Amino acid sequence: MATEVQRIPASRQARRSFGKGLLTLIVVGWFALLILVPLLALIRGALAGGLKPFLQALATPEAQNAFFLTVLITVVATVVNTIFGLIMSIVLVRQRFWGKTLADGIVDLPFAISPIIAGLMLILIYGNQGWIGQWLEPLGIKVVYAWPGMVLATTFVTLPFVVREVVPVLQEFGVDQEEVAYTLGAGRWRTFWSVTLPSIRWGLAYGVTLTIARSLGEFGALLVVSGNILGRTQTTTLYIHDGIESFNTEGAYAASVLLAGVSFVLLLGMELFRKHVEARETRT
Amino acid sequence: MSNRTSRGPLPIDLFLRGSALSYLALMVVVPLTALSIEALKPGWDPFWQALTDPFAWHALKLTFATAFIMVLINAVMGTATAWVLVRCEFPGKGIMNALIDVPFAVPTVVTGLMLVALYGPSSVLGSFLGRHGWAVIYQQPGIVLALLFVSYPFVIRSVQPVLLEMDPAEEEAAATLGAGTFTTFRRVTFPALWPSILTGTALSFSRALGEFGSVIMVAGNRPLQTKTGPMYIFGEIESGNTHGAMVVSVVLLAFSLGILIVLNLLQRQGRHIHGH
Amino acid sequence: MGRGTPTNPKRRRSLIRFGVCCIASSFLTWLSGCLPVQGVYAGADTLTIGAYSVVRDALREKILPGFAAHWKAKTGRTVRFEESYNASGAQSRAIASGFDADVAMLSLEGDVERLVKAGLVEPNWKDGPHKGLVTRSLVVIGVRPGNPLKLQGWEDLERPGVGVLYPDPKTSGGAKWNINAIYGSAMLEDQEHPNLQAGFERLAKVQANVLNMDSSGRQSMATFERGTGDAVVTYENELLLQQKRKGVATPYVIPDATLQIEGPVAIVESSVREHGNREVAEAFLDYLRQDEAQRIFAEYGFRALDSRLDPPDRVPLPKKLFTIAELGGWKEINQKVYGPGGLWDALFTGKKGSKP
Repeated sequence: MATEVQRIPASRQARRSFGKGLLTLIVVGWFALLILVPLLALIRGALAGGLKPFLQALATPEAQNAFFLTVLITVVATVVNTIFGLIMSIVLVRQRFWGKTLADGIVDLPFAISPIIAGLMLILIYGNQGWIGQWLEPLGIKVVYAWPGMVLATTFVTLPFVVREVVPVLQEFGVDQEEVAYTLGAGRWRTFWSVTLPSIRWGLAYGVTLTIARSLGEFGALLVVSGNILGRTQTTTLYIHDGIESFNTEGAYAASVLLAGVSFVLLLGMELFRKHVEARETRT
Repeated sequence: MSNRTSRGPLPIDLFLRGSALSYLALMVVVPLTALSIEALKPGWDPFWQALTDPFAWHALKLTFATAFIMVLINAVMGTATAWVLVRCEFPGKGIMNALIDVPFAVPTVVTGLMLVALYGPSSVLGSFLGRHGWAVIYQQPGIVLALLFVSYPFVIRSVQPVLLEMDPAEEEAAATLGAGTFTTFRRVTFPALWPSILTGTALSFSRALGEFGSVIMVAGNRPLQTKTGPMYIFGEIESGNTHGAMVVSVVLLAFSLGILIVLNLLQRQGRHIHGH
Repeated sequence: MGRGTPTNPKRRRSLIRFGVCCIASSFLTWLSGCLPVQGVYAGADTLTIGAYSVVRDALREKILPGFAAHWKAKTGRTVRFEESYNASGAQSRAIASGFDADVAMLSLEGDVERLVKAGLVEPNWKDGPHKGLVTRSLVVIGVRPGNPLKLQGWEDLERPGVGVLYPDPKTSGGAKWNINAIYGSAMLEDQEHPNLQAGFERLAKVQANVLNMDSSGRQSMATFERGTGDAVVTYENELLLQQKRKGVATPYVIPDATLQIEGPVAIVESSVREHGNREVAEAFLDYLRQDEAQRIFAEYGFRALDSRLDPPDRVPLPKKLFTIAELGGWKEINQKVYGPGGLWDALFTGKKGSKP
């Protein structure tokens, strides 16, 4: 910068701070109105009766079944999409082949597809008159109105997250270190495990967290493919929806707070953990 | 690496490529193809008829209109919020920054419930607004409100990292040279930000076109007034008009896809300009 | 790096390997996503019920336990239930596209006929003495305590400024009952000469007052409970159920002319054959028509098939109680009113009979 420091006249500085302050006020106000107040209302609604009824509402057998199903589906969807996500990212970034850009675009598609449409597509394929469903039906294999359909639906909508978060990191990371590993004689797997993975871990972690959060909250597609069968296909989100209409609002609110809380803690926790680790690394 | 001149791709590379692409084909391409084929199976005429059905047409128009309005508001407020979070200091900033992600965490079915409870016709705020002709819930503004909530983080989280990386010195320099705040923003900050704003905006738009869980609780679901595309599709599925549902789905999908493609192209252009 | 032509032997080998990998991995992925799943409870003594949302409480709280006790007493075996409660149209759609319910208890005959058309229910399901029915009810208007707007009948719902609630006929069977009652009341004013135009006009005025169209009858009631609207058009039993749950009177008005709701139940042949539980399914249907179950339904606000079993404090039936048959029967109504270009569509587009 120039050796002489030009000073901004005090009046303009005051005007700038005023402008900044006003903008801050507008932004915080918007945030409060749109996000904070509804969130507080939700928490208040859930805990209005006290902590005990809140916990009791979460302990009913229907709620427990719903939680179990949600966890099961989330675990499967997350594991499958993490494996696929890693493989796809590596393939997209490190390989070159015809149709790569197309594949890249296709990965992003589930992001742009309404969950209702996703559900419709699953019915078209796996319903009892569906493309594949009509062959599975006589064999007694149930996809829709059973948990495989719900896993498929959830896996579909969460497909892009890991890929999208890992690809930029992998691109930035560059092939040099990997090349070094190869020249030193390390095999593919070893290289991946010891060199690639550590460098993409935060992108991967964020992608996995987003996948989990999205899986926990999936609703539209499940509404179409699940049949809302108590104990068999009622996830937590469907349980909440059910609770709203069966006058079990305490149960619905309690489950909502639980879901939102878990997702939020995951997201926040990951951020904090990363900051903590990065701070430690820069210090050493 | 994989396409090393000496050997060509290793078997492991091909296996990875094969698995990833097959997974993609099975999970995404096959369902989309099935949808398109089934929608067009009866023929082009029935397709066109189902599309121009007044209810379908209105649902599509409403979806695009509400998404567009939401996106405009979100682009402005999102950028402003990101700017404030990065460049300003105020008490509670850390908490607010953490809470930006709340819409990612809250299931959509809950969003609707919350918004109705707070701004619905039987609430304090809602009845006040209703009396002055500013009814929100169960009217079209309610749809925009729900969309604003669920898309809130997209622009912010797209813009924040870019702003963080930007050197405030540039802005300061402009200020010392006499530029007002707005001019600084327009000539210095914005040119660097527009790709990320665009990304966040396109993501919001895509999301809004397909949003269902929150909208169905706040919109009112009245045909030719407040039934959006996804709500229309849902109704047609449940009442047995699968073809109508598929036709509207295909159109919505085509638009979402178009947005993604345009976004991709613009991002690439942005990268050229900014040399990222 | 040159791209070899496919005739290059090395390329060809790579392509073949690539192709084999693709096929193998797709097969594995597909297989893992479609593990064979029988309903966990498939077996001779399980019963999967696909019902509409309004009968939920009656079934879950008393009817199903009652039948379980009955079955145990009769055969010594325990029966296990799987239940799904949904809007009637949605439930019907689910069963038609693969949900393996053994028993379909839906809001209206039309939703069961959809299953007949899909080949899942026998066409003779209505042939017994009960004509396939299990419950009766009325379409009534729920109001706020004290009835501040002094709503007495359908005409009052036409008044501007009255906030009305009923669900979406696309998903909810209950909505169809409500809408039929509204236009039917005006149409059958002069029972000798039904006047559809009058019915249409009444419906148009009421629809203009509708605030929100929920996806099911139960949801509509819940929305009303949460403070929206001045009047909810719904089944009489929904309001009586509210009363039962809260112990507080939930006022409702029976208009002078209203529609009798007839709730059907049917066995889904394909599921019963698959699960091998025909015996328990037929026993269940029998049980539903016995006095014990009918009394339970009456307790939950329905009107029993035999009105002698209704509780004595039940409000007497209105003077003009018409049935779906007088309105033309479900087949005709589903086509003329709810079909494409029908009465319902015309409410919004202003064009009557626009489609052939």
